[in-house]
Amino acid sequence: MPHRVKDILWLAGRDYRNEWQMSAFFIVSLAAVLGPMMILYGLKFGIVGSMLTNLIEDPRNREVRPIGSGRYDSAWVEQLRNREEIDFIVPRTRAIAATIDLKSETASRIISVEMIPTGQADPLLKTQTIPQSLQQIVLSNKAAQKLNVKPGDEISGSLSRRFKGRSERVHISLQVIDIAKPASFTRDGAFTDLLLVEAAEDFRDGRAVSALGWSGTAEGNDKRTYPSFRLYTSSIYDVAPISEALGKLGIEVSTRVADIDIVRTMDRNLSVVFWLIAIIGLFGFTLSLGASLWANVDRKRKELSVLRLVGFRTGEIVWFPVLQSVFTAIFGWLTASMIYLGVSFTINRLFASQMDSSDSICHLLPNHFLIALILTLGAATIAAILAGYRAARIEPSEGLRDI
Amino acid sequence: MTSTAIPIDPQTGVNLPGERVLIYHLRDVEKTREAEGTAFRLRVPSLQIALGEKIALIGESGCGKSTLLDMLSMTLRPSGIGSFRFRPARGAEPVDISDLWRKKQLNQLGDLRRLRIGYVMQTGGLLPYLTVRENINLSRRLLDMQDDSLVDELAGDLGIRRHLDKLPYMLSVGERQRVAIGRALAHRPSIVIADEPTASLDPIAAERIMSLFIELVDELHITVILASHAWRHINRLGLRHLEHHTHRESDGSMTETVVSG
Ligand SMILES: Nc1ncnc2c1ncn2[C@@H]1O[C@H](COP(=O)(O)OP(=O)(O)OP(=O)(O)O)[C@@H](O)[C@H]1O
Ligand SMILES: [Mg+2]
Repeated sequence: MPHRVKDILWLAGRDYRNEWQMSAFFIVSLAAVLGPMMILYGLKFGIVGSMLTNLIEDPRNREVRPIGSGRYDSAWVEQLRNREEIDFIVPRTRAIAATIDLKSETASRIISVEMIPTGQADPLLKTQTIPQSLQQIVLSNKAAQKLNVKPGDEISGSLSRRFKGRSERVHISLQVIDIAKPASFTRDGAFTDLLLVEAAEDFRDGRAVSALGWSGTAEGNDKRTYPSFRLYTSSIYDVAPISEALGKLGIEVSTRVADIDIVRTMDRNLSVVFWLIAIIGLFGFTLSLGASLWANVDRKRKELSVLRLVGFRTGEIVWFPVLQSVFTAIFGWLTASMIYLGVSFTINRLFASQMDSSDSICHLLPNHFLIALILTLGAATIAAILAGYRAARIEPSEGLRDI
Repeated sequence: MTSTAIPIDPQTGVNLPGERVLIYHLRDVEKTREAEGTAFRLRVPSLQIALGEKIALIGESGCGKSTLLDMLSMTLRPSGIGSFRFRPARGAEPVDISDLWRKKQLNQLGDLRRLRIGYVMQTGGLLPYLTVRENINLSRRLLDMQDDSLVDELAGDLGIRRHLDKLPYMLSVGERQRVAIGRALAHRPSIVIADEPTASLDPIAAERIMSLFIELVDELHITVILASHAWRHINRLGLRHLEHHTHRESDGSMTETVVSG
């Protein structure tokens, strides 16, 4: 029995090849539906995909920033740090006290930079070395340019205060251990160990900092509280729940949740639009292929009945239109894939200058090609069902004479 | 019409040595066809055809030749069957065709056709997408028959060897008919059924192809049943004529043909 399905495969293939103009017409009309659909999906997937990647990869989208100031102690911060949704948290001192003047030997200007407390796994310093001590800093790209320094250089920092009616200035020599990515911090800034930021605040408040030999009133500040903190969640999806949790504690925060929502909503809506178009396209293709297969059976009535006459069974004749439909599906899909590859290459070339090097605006995964093939095969099989049924009902005696 | 008087043993089923084996044995088989208020009935009270016989069915248009051949080729279901047995070879058990029709075992009928029967149609019936060689070989291919020289010999005898690799549309109508004869014989069936195989040809070509056909059938020891209205040259080929009478009602509402032999 299976070998006669093989015979039908051979016969259907020969007929398909013999009527190559007709076959090519079907293949092209399938590719004309499928190709644009693949390009459309490729664009959606590429554009939305790179937007989502940007969202996910840009740590600023995971930042939860408290508005205004509060009083948070280190125990409270520690307890937040243990939450799974939180990737990174470090307390901040008063912003006004967290500046430092920097001077290098390779530049004449003294610049005042913001100090940003950092620590292990700071998302803004993903690939950078993290300061381990009071005297190590990572400069923002802009500050490093102004100071004309490179990693490893020594620079000098200074802080000033008015203490007991006098102006005072202290100096500290600092080592630039790394320079942050331009996108991490766009102003003049320095990522420092929390201790240095605390020391600067203590100094400005008139307290002594024994570690650096700065004099002042008694140290002993066990109950230090911080007005703010830097917080990054583990993923963009944790932003909303964490802001909500903080909101319940009365901490008002600002996040980029709205941006994330916009992209996600856009993804959903574009998907709906795409599937609408795809369904209409596939439906139309199925109908037109079905109608022509049906008409084909009528046109080939005599030939099909000859096959019945020479002893093919009903169940085997059904394969004739079905196999030809499957041929159309496979070749149409191949053609559509070629069209897609050509067009997406061109589109990506056109937009290459506007995109980051790794992103492509039109992009499909191997899976998507496979899904397109399966959908097409499905549609083609459905289209062939009626024709197959009609073919199976042809009587062998019809082949014996013409009308 | 007269039948060449060969005594026929009414006992079938049994295979005595030297006895003629009946490939067809029909009793009280009939087919009624009704359309638009007129009816046609073909009645076969008794028909016996022996293996190796060459039968001619000659009669005017509309008398029911095709109807009978379709029933004998198991593509047309009789409307009434007394008994219908088919014994394709000397060593084979007779097959009860009436039973297969009753049980609607169409696939079994198809298998019988594929294995035992060859057809020559009035026009072509060739597959346009296969070459002449592939068309002739089709019946063999379906039976997984090994290549022997028969296809080439047939092509030589039929004078179409130089066309073997062409597609049918490149051939003349007479050449196509010869290809059809080749296909009907290539798998060495027990019987070849030919419904007016030369009707679309000019008389001279028709006569030549008909003689060629009968020669080949003789050579391969294949039983043949042939329908035709051109009876003049058929007479010279030494076929047994099946006897039949056609009776028409005067108002034209009913035509009945009775065949026996
Ligand atoms: N499908 C059908 N339905 C109804 N009546 C039919 C059908 N086919 C044939 N007939 C009738 O049966 C009768 C016999 O037809 P048949 O085809 O057997 O004649 P024939 O002897 O082969 O004629 P010809 O020599 O012209 O081929 C005709 O009168 C025809 O009208
Ligand atoms: Mg006829």
